[in-house]
Amino acid sequence: MPRTILGARIRERRRSRGLTQAALARQVGISASYMNLIERNKRPIAGPLLRRTAEALAMRIDELDGLAERRLLESLDEIAHMPDLADLRVEGASAGELIGRYPGWARAMAALARSERQSAAAARAMADRISHDPFLGEAVHRMLTRIAAVRSAAEILVAFPDVPADRRERFNRIIHDECQALSDVGGALAAYFDKIEEADRTLTPIDEVEALFESRSNRFNEIEAAAAPIDLGPGGNLPAGRWTAARAAAEDKLGSLIERIVADQDQVESAPARARARRVLLDYAARAILAPMRDFAPRAAALGYDVEVLAQELDLDVDTICYRLTAMPGGENVPSFGYFRANAAGTIVEMRGLPGLMLPRYAAACPLWVLYRAQQSPEALMRQRVVFPSGARFVFLARAHQAGPSGFGKPRHYLTGMIALSEADAALTVYAPDAGVPVEEVGPACRICPRRGCPHRVDDPLAA
Amino acid sequence: MTKRVLLVEDEPNIVESLTFLLERSGFEVMPEGNGQVALDRAIEDPPDVMILDVMLPELDGFEILRRLRADPRSRSLPVLMLTAKGQREDRETALGGGANLFITKPFSNAEVIGAVSRLAGEAEE
Repeated sequence: MPRTILGARIRERRRSRGLTQAALARQVGISASYMNLIERNKRPIAGPLLRRTAEALAMRIDELDGLAERRLLESLDEIAHMPDLADLRVEGASAGELIGRYPGWARAMAALARSERQSAAAARAMADRISHDPFLGEAVHRMLTRIAAVRSAAEILVAFPDVPADRRERFNRIIHDECQALSDVGGALAAYFDKIEEADRTLTPIDEVEALFESRSNRFNEIEAAAAPIDLGPGGNLPAGRWTAARAAAEDKLGSLIERIVADQDQVESAPARARARRVLLDYAARAILAPMRDFAPRAAALGYDVEVLAQELDLDVDTICYRLTAMPGGENVPSFGYFRANAAGTIVEMRGLPGLMLPRYAAACPLWVLYRAQQSPEALMRQRVVFPSGARFVFLARAHQAGPSGFGKPRHYLTGMIALSEADAALTVYAPDAGVPVEEVGPACRICPRRGCPHRVDDPLAA
Repeated sequence: MTKRVLLVEDEPNIVESLTFLLERSGFEVMPEGNGQVALDRAIEDPPDVMILDVMLPELDGFEILRRLRADPRSRSLPVLMLTAKGQREDRETALGGGANLFITKPFSNAEVIGAVSRLAGEAEE
């Protein structure tokens, strides 16, 4: 925007704010007649006076002198000429009009283009880093050298059947030694990529808290010990009333213990994750108060870990029973339970992992899990026998239950809980599948699933 | 007369295989794993063909090549360079530096023997 219309801009802005020329002049410390000259572009304005004027009109200097618009215009002009967008025949000439009429859209487009440029630059930097990484370069070179030695010796053995026995033995030895060295290089490379992945992985609070539970095998002995003697007294007969009373008792009597646990561990680092850890551990403590492990574990075993019968007998909800199962101390003939909860959008909102069960790190898991099917038949406990691409077999048990208040005419929201058991452990429970129960092929999540030809795939695997 | 090949390579297993192959094809092989020693030998008593690896202790293959070409006694010595596959820069440096041929690792034996025979034949003419 040409400098000559600066005066007009000041006048326009001043008027829109209901200021007289004299009032603005007074504010910025010049005479009204000088301000008049400025507004008619008869006198230049710059430096401290321009800054004071911008302040008095509540504008940034670049807005006032048109610099911001010029930059925006340049950005849009650049977008209009991006080779990738050539087919769109962008109306470059009307960029000014776009800025005038829809300044927000114009700024959004420029911001997107900028962010796209930054991402592309970051991707290039990453590619550059990989191709110039000294460790990778060295490892690839060592690998090629080893392969060259193997190939050459192997070709000799094949091409010259008359090689004397002692030389033949030497070439066999070379192939053996070089293969050994080759597998060392391969191992080092794999470890290197693992390390990169670890360093680059950004954890969500759910992941961090899950890692805390994993490090304790889903069980906090100190909370169990402190919760066992707590008696809720006559605190309400309804399950909801009992939960409230147990949660309050946990907060009151075990709050400081839980603070200490959260402060002393190193899995949970971010503030949101710490807040989540405190909340989840208070829930854990409330459940430990409602169903002390000393009585719960033997009763559960006696009932074949039937979650619905246990819920009826202990007058607790199924969800609480499932959580208590994950906290059982391990032992011979004691199954290990994993437990997942997903909302209606399919996002896993809480998980207690199970050794050997590969978990999706971000959001949704494989859509073939019964976890997602259970929402179609609320309150029914559905069993699924699955096999993962690794060959590991599990039994899943899922049930959608209503969460939060509802009533006639109000929306009902469901959360789905899913128990996971290895097939071997399932044999110790009432959920042991008969031989005739079909095994369904599932995966962890598309991005990390190698299954080919799956019609439900929505994402390409990360490693093809 | 038997043609002499100076094999400059520090990987003993590759040296063993290449020596076996070259001898079967009638060459006399002089293996050398140290870059500096190899350079001295090549200048003082030039072989018929030199096989030169890039990664060597003390003096790397490119530097050896540069010094060979700078000395009148070894300026026209036929050199076959061994570079690692995918290292495009290496290949360009090898050819730019005056290597007669280059072969990428992992190579096939036939490739190496073919290249050495060709260079030895050209040297004769």
